[in-house]
Amino acid sequence: MSAAMATLLRRSLRPLRAFRGHPRPAADVPLRATSHGAGLLYPEHIPTSLVQKALLAAGSAGMALYDPYRHDMVAVLGETTGYRTLKVLRDQMRRDPEGAQILQERPRISLATLDLGKLRSLPEDSFGREYLRFLDVNRVSPDTRAPTRFVDDEELAYVIQRYREVHDMVHTLLGMPTNILGEIVVKWFEAVQTGLPMCILSALFGPIQLSAQSLQVLVSELIPWAVQNGRRAPCVLNLYYERRWEQPLRALREELGITEPPRRIEGLA
Amino acid sequence: MAAPRSWALWSLCGRGWSPVLPGCRLPWLRSCWPSGPLGARPLSQEKRATETHFGFETVSEEEKGGKVYQVFESVARKYDVMNDMMSLGIHRVWKDLLLLKMHPFPGTQLLDVAGGTGDIAFRFLNYVQAQHQRKQKRQLRAQQNLSWEEIAKKYQNQEDSLGGSRVMVCDINKEMLKMGKQKACARGYKAGLAWVLGDAEELPFDDDKFDVYTIAFGIRNVTHIDRALQEAHRVLKPGGRFLCLEFSQVNNPLVSRLYDVYSFQVIPVLGEVIAGDWKSYQYLVESIRQFPPQEEFKEMIEDAGFQKVTYENLTSGIVAIHSGFKL
Repeated sequence: MSAAMATLLRRSLRPLRAFRGHPRPAADVPLRATSHGAGLLYPEHIPTSLVQKALLAAGSAGMALYDPYRHDMVAVLGETTGYRTLKVLRDQMRRDPEGAQILQERPRISLATLDLGKLRSLPEDSFGREYLRFLDVNRVSPDTRAPTRFVDDEELAYVIQRYREVHDMVHTLLGMPTNILGEIVVKWFEAVQTGLPMCILSALFGPIQLSAQSLQVLVSELIPWAVQNGRRAPCVLNLYYERRWEQPLRALREELGITEPPRRIEGLA
Repeated sequence: MAAPRSWALWSLCGRGWSPVLPGCRLPWLRSCWPSGPLGARPLSQEKRATETHFGFETVSEEEKGGKVYQVFESVARKYDVMNDMMSLGIHRVWKDLLLLKMHPFPGTQLLDVAGGTGDIAFRFLNYVQAQHQRKQKRQLRAQQNLSWEEIAKKYQNQEDSLGGSRVMVCDINKEMLKMGKQKACARGYKAGLAWVLGDAEELPFDDDKFDVYTIAFGIRNVTHIDRALQEAHRVLKPGGRFLCLEFSQVNNPLVSRLYDVYSFQVIPVLGEVIAGDWKSYQYLVESIRQFPPQEEFKEMIEDAGFQKVTYENLTSGIVAIHSGFKL
């Protein structure tokens, strides 16, 4: 076979070779959104269509109710339903000086970025020391927050990531443990503060699994207290926590207008 | 075996010629390829040829094996649940139809490759056991007396309820095999079952060993499908049958559109909600699109030396059973 013929043959065969993958026209791309390659706004991003987001929101809500230990489902629910609210939150952060700094510098809270030794050496009632105590007593780690995946805007992805990472700080500020009752109280506070649909849904549907006694305590004392504090306090996302480790917790609470919890709930739920 | 010249043309027709060329078992084919003034060309082709698809991504061939391993390691625990959810239970019917097509009789030696969680193996055991029982009932009804050995075995409870059938489940992934073994224990399958860790492209068995070779929903994940087919040909006895149950191309345009929407919009969501793993299920639906259609796959099977190759579409071609014989 002559060289020229071979080249011709090769050139004509190249498109055939591509057909082994049976490509569909580019118009199908929204239908077949791939989760890799170009189009990613941030490393962990998975682009999703509206249909997928709706299905994810419904599925994750159902699964979170069915299996409360699926924290990743709560996270997914937040990401798929929170787009508009995140925009509002982000704009509000921009207007606040400390919040704007956070958006600029994008601090992250993880075991890599926290200096646990330094936190441990802080005085007893400082915010940093209390936060560390909260982590130890409840046996949680700041590294269990999964990265954002389904938010289609890079800055908003950071905002929701920050919201998740700050969640433990809110626990410390409110003095709530990580049992179901404590989480619900924190969710009520966050729902009032942020307006995120996921917080509102968790706050309304979380109590379904509670015992009658806990439910009674929740409704009569804890929810009113959480709502009151939520309304009074400025947005907790606007606090640059990393700069406030040495601040005494009491002073911080006063600054935010957060009062002591009405009762201890470690033993309940 | 086809004549050398037509073989060369056949492989040039773009139908799987890129995998044929580098790992070629026919060195004379490469020398047929003109070099000389176009000497630079073969090098770039080979470089391109060591890349393959992983879903819609392009990866190197070495990488693909590892990535597929990770996918199945991650999905192993929820594999069966997800199969039921994704196919709405229809996968059970498909697997039953595969067994009906196989129609094994007691004494069949089956090799189930990529058999992971054991669905085919368990169905096979049920089938041959039922066959064996029916045969014995028929014998008794026909007033055929049992031989002394059979009566003695019955009293000693040594009777082989499978009539000599054996199934070997081979999978490359340890997690999937683990799941399969747990399932077998839970359901009480013990006799006639063996679990082997092995690569479909390089099976750890001698030549001419098995009566039937099956691979259900596994062959599209193999990096070199042609090698897997050649291995299948090698380990089968003469007269042995190759059966492949795999996702294929849908022949009805309406069903195809619905299937696409379902695959790409719903399945990764199901994967995320039920198994917490979007990416593995995205890979699974993409890998279905990358697999050759029925006719092309049939030709690949014929290339490996099988005869009387046929295929049967199930559910409008969402799934196809390909069958070939080693004669």
